[in-house]
Amino acid sequence: MTKTVLNGRLAFAAVMLVGLILPAVFERHMVDLLVYAGLYTIAGLGVGLLLGQCGIVNLAQALFYGIGAYASAYSTVTLGWSPWSGILLGIAISVAVALVIGFPLLRLHGFFLALATLAAGTIGTIFFFEWDWLTGGTLGIGGLPPLSVLGFEFNSPARFYYLVWAVVIILLVLSSNLVSGRPGLAMRALRDSAPAAEVMAVNIHAIRTKIFALSAGLGALAGSLFAHYSTYVSVESFTVQRSIVFLLIPVIAGARSIWGTVAGALFVTFVPELLSGFGDAHQMLFGIMLVLVVTLMPDGLAGIPARVARRFAR
Amino acid sequence: MNSTLIIQSLMAGLTNSFVYALIGIGIAVIYRGTRIINAMQGDFAVIGGMLTVFGLVSAGLPYVWACALGIAAGAASGLLIDVVCVRPMIRRQADDEAFLLLTIGLAFTISAAVLYIGGREAHLLPGIGGNGTVEIAGAFMSVHAIFLIAISLLVVCGLWLFYRKTIAGLSMIAASVDPDGATSIGINVARMRGYTFVLGGAIGALAGILVTPLISVSYQMGLGLTLKGFAAAILGGLTNPLGAVLGGLVIGLSESLAVVGLSSGYKDVVALTIMLLMMVLMPNGLLGKAGRRGG
Repeated sequence: MTKTVLNGRLAFAAVMLVGLILPAVFERHMVDLLVYAGLYTIAGLGVGLLLGQCGIVNLAQALFYGIGAYASAYSTVTLGWSPWSGILLGIAISVAVALVIGFPLLRLHGFFLALATLAAGTIGTIFFFEWDWLTGGTLGIGGLPPLSVLGFEFNSPARFYYLVWAVVIILLVLSSNLVSGRPGLAMRALRDSAPAAEVMAVNIHAIRTKIFALSAGLGALAGSLFAHYSTYVSVESFTVQRSIVFLLIPVIAGARSIWGTVAGALFVTFVPELLSGFGDAHQMLFGIMLVLVVTLMPDGLAGIPARVARRFAR
Repeated sequence: MNSTLIIQSLMAGLTNSFVYALIGIGIAVIYRGTRIINAMQGDFAVIGGMLTVFGLVSAGLPYVWACALGIAAGAASGLLIDVVCVRPMIRRQADDEAFLLLTIGLAFTISAAVLYIGGREAHLLPGIGGNGTVEIAGAFMSVHAIFLIAISLLVVCGLWLFYRKTIAGLSMIAASVDPDGATSIGINVARMRGYTFVLGGAIGALAGILVTPLISVSYQMGLGLTLKGFAAAILGGLTNPLGAVLGGLVIGLSESLAVVGLSSGYKDVVALTIMLLMMVLMPNGLLGKAGRRGG
């Protein structure tokens, strides 16, 4: 057992090392994609906590991603605040919105909850579009300042790469702790048997609402970082399609695996890119791959090692 | 505000109501027969509408045959989805979330496939009964809209009879309510589920054909239709075709009043808010428990 732990740590260290030198070897476009994979990991992590730990399908993540992005854009460009306070504002608004809509909606379950979040996300997109005094509508808001720490500006893909992946690793570690601790135990108990969990004095509704708020906060953080990275935000980035992509990240990765979120995020950023060689067919091929994953691989990519092991054990 | 404007808007709302109702009926049929919420019902409509346009314009078929082609395409896609995707998932006892993800994935794929094959353009069909209009209380309604409402009502009556009076309809319900019991009296549960998807696909395609002359059909309209249809079905208690009509009317008419009272941009907000409120406050639909059994 200690040997597997050691092997795990070595593998982890090797991945980290490779991660550190990637921006130096890859061309700019690839680094750019890796930055997006990092942003999507953060947003997808929230959706994954809901799906994997609570069994909740959240189709509203683009709403919170949008709130974060617009909070950053409006507070820095129009109000002239510092970027960091814009990020905090976005997270605060997102968490507040999540509590307000989550409190009534999280009484629903399964299909109904999923479609309720889809409806909430769609309403959000309409408001982003209609409130053009705030969001700039289809024209969007441009000219966001880059993030900076002590005068060091994260103004190139390579620099932003280190920032976003540092954030990703911190969040993944925190989430792993959350999931392996008491809150995680309570969440899994309610996912697997809600009545039994309730008997054990787990307050189902409170936990679900808290995780929903946490997920929304992660969505807003990703949105704010996205806004400062691309320096331009518009309605197209926050549609229901984006929510579906965020949902796919944990689905493809295997929803119960926290670190697997990275694989899911890499999948949704790089596979469409690889398929773009097929021209207009690439979206369709991506859709087919997705349907195949859902149909044939219930545990997502994270389930592949176990499957291979089972096959060889026979 | 003048009353003709309100009547005109309500008339448009009435027509939309029946479109939402037809999508909602399809969702209700599939939910009733399989306990799956089909998040790609609107894409059946896209398939139906697109194939009818193809039959009429590209293949030069007569109108009726083009419509038949569209409906057959919807039914065939329903069957294909059941055989290729749903059946293996039922075999491994996948959970509810997996089925929802499947239908969302299929919606994404179909929309992308239509974009790839049919292109970005929206396509129109000529209306049933020509492109004429009739005047009702100073407002105008297209002849096609009247046909749309009549056909929708026929579908509702037909389904009512089908689920009560025919062996096939009763078997389909039995297969979903109690699969083991149904199997023990000789009902082929898997085949009944196939029939349910065929029926759901055909109704979805019909909705698409009927809506195309009004708002045209394009690759990205599926999800919007699904949401409105789901709203209508939820208001109706989800299993009841007649309830879906009632739900469609509530959604369609409140939308049209929102257009007059607020602005057209907010009509979806009104429709979806009504749906969310209904889900939380009246989870059994407008007709209550009775509505769940009936229809």
